[in-house]
Amino acid sequence: MSTEALSPRHSPWTIDSRTVVFGAVGAALYAVLGLFSFLIPGTQSVTVRPAVALVPFFGKRFGVITGFFVGFVGNVVIDLIQGAGLIWWNWSVANGLVGAFAALIFTVIPPISSEALRHIVTALGALTATALGLLFIITDLWILGIDFNTFLFLNYLPALLANGIAVVILVPALDAAWEPLAKRAGL
Amino acid sequence: MDVTPRYLGAGSFLARRDPRVLLLVPVLYFVAVANVADLRGMLVCAAIALVYYRAAGIPWRGVRANWVFMLTFTTLLVVVNSVFTAADTRVGAGEALFAIPLTGTQVTWATLSYASTLLIRYASLAMVSFPVAFAIAPSDLGVALARLRLSQRLAYGVDLTFRFLPSTVAALRETIDAQRVRGYEHSRSRDPFRKLASLKPVVVPVTVNALIDAEDTANAMDLRGFGAKHRTWMRELAFGRTDYLVMGGFLALAAVMTAAKFFGPFGEVWAP
Repeated sequence: MSTEALSPRHSPWTIDSRTVVFGAVGAALYAVLGLFSFLIPGTQSVTVRPAVALVPFFGKRFGVITGFFVGFVGNVVIDLIQGAGLIWWNWSVANGLVGAFAALIFTVIPPISSEALRHIVTALGALTATALGLLFIITDLWILGIDFNTFLFLNYLPALLANGIAVVILVPALDAAWEPLAKRAGL
Repeated sequence: MDVTPRYLGAGSFLARRDPRVLLLVPVLYFVAVANVADLRGMLVCAAIALVYYRAAGIPWRGVRANWVFMLTFTTLLVVVNSVFTAADTRVGAGEALFAIPLTGTQVTWATLSYASTLLIRYASLAMVSFPVAFAIAPSDLGVALARLRLSQRLAYGVDLTFRFLPSTVAALRETIDAQRVRGYEHSRSRDPFRKLASLKPVVVPVTVNALIDAEDTANAMDLRGFGAKHRTWMRELAFGRTDYLVMGGFLALAAVMTAAKFFGPFGEVWAP
């Protein structure tokens, strides 16, 4: 057993048919499951979207391009379905970066034999990728004209809290379910 | 659950345009209105955005909920940031009209003028963005991105994403039904951790099944030589004279507004 996401024959930057198909499947899953969200009790606007866990999972398993594609295109499709157009494009880029960072982080983590430790590392790696990727919404400072405190306390930290809960719980579960199938398929 | 994008503007003036126009106009408009602080300049831009939005022929009843959500969110954002608190406000040289009781923020004509400018900016950005969602045929998005020099493979990926949407919804429904037969109940707990953990029996099998099916699709594409040569598309896109006029108009708007921000009055807040 190992934490490594990609088999040695695959570079995380490759764009082949698998990158395209897994990216499209991931983006469609993210768009469909992303329509479900629930509010954290006691907060005004912090909603947990369970589907965000798919982004670091796809990044880890299928590489930088797929990870970015799932987060970016999935979020854009949700916005298109909900009718927001491209107004919040920087949030879509931030979601894409979560997937890209997840791919990069898990590429450098060496194989771990202990299953429990692997789940913990997967959760922490996904959380780190989420924290790094979401930093892109600092662009709201120029796009929305908000100040740094508003960015930090109204945008970044609530988003990190909500997405962090989802990735810590669901990414290790998804990864554990996919691991044996990936080995069988030689991925 | 309807997850297919709604092509509400079908047949309208904008829907007949090359879809690249609808993708590029919001970018040019964003350049035009970024950092505009003068309400009069913003109103001019908003009037142009309104004409553009009307050309998309999007029926009001179809997007009423979208507009209510968008305007509620942005009004809250502007009122909190620019009026109630000093997070993003302008005071100007004028006399204070009143002070906000809890925060003590002094509100002047300049404050209200700047807050109105921001609100109109967001609303007008929505006006030029809504046609992307409602006036581009979903099947045209892939080819439009490819013609905008995005990687042919990734452009095809966007196309494929839309094709996977209906089957993904079907798989989700099937999985929920199958798990219910086995006694699955969605948690009604207020604890977010428990609620998320209760979603595992749905999210995990839907994802894993989709990935297994994706492997077949990828193999089929490999067998057909996907990515071996430059990809062609059934839909041919070509800019017409009207497309150039629309693009030219917004390019001019972006240039004029950028110049006005740097050399003219539109970079400063206007107070009556």
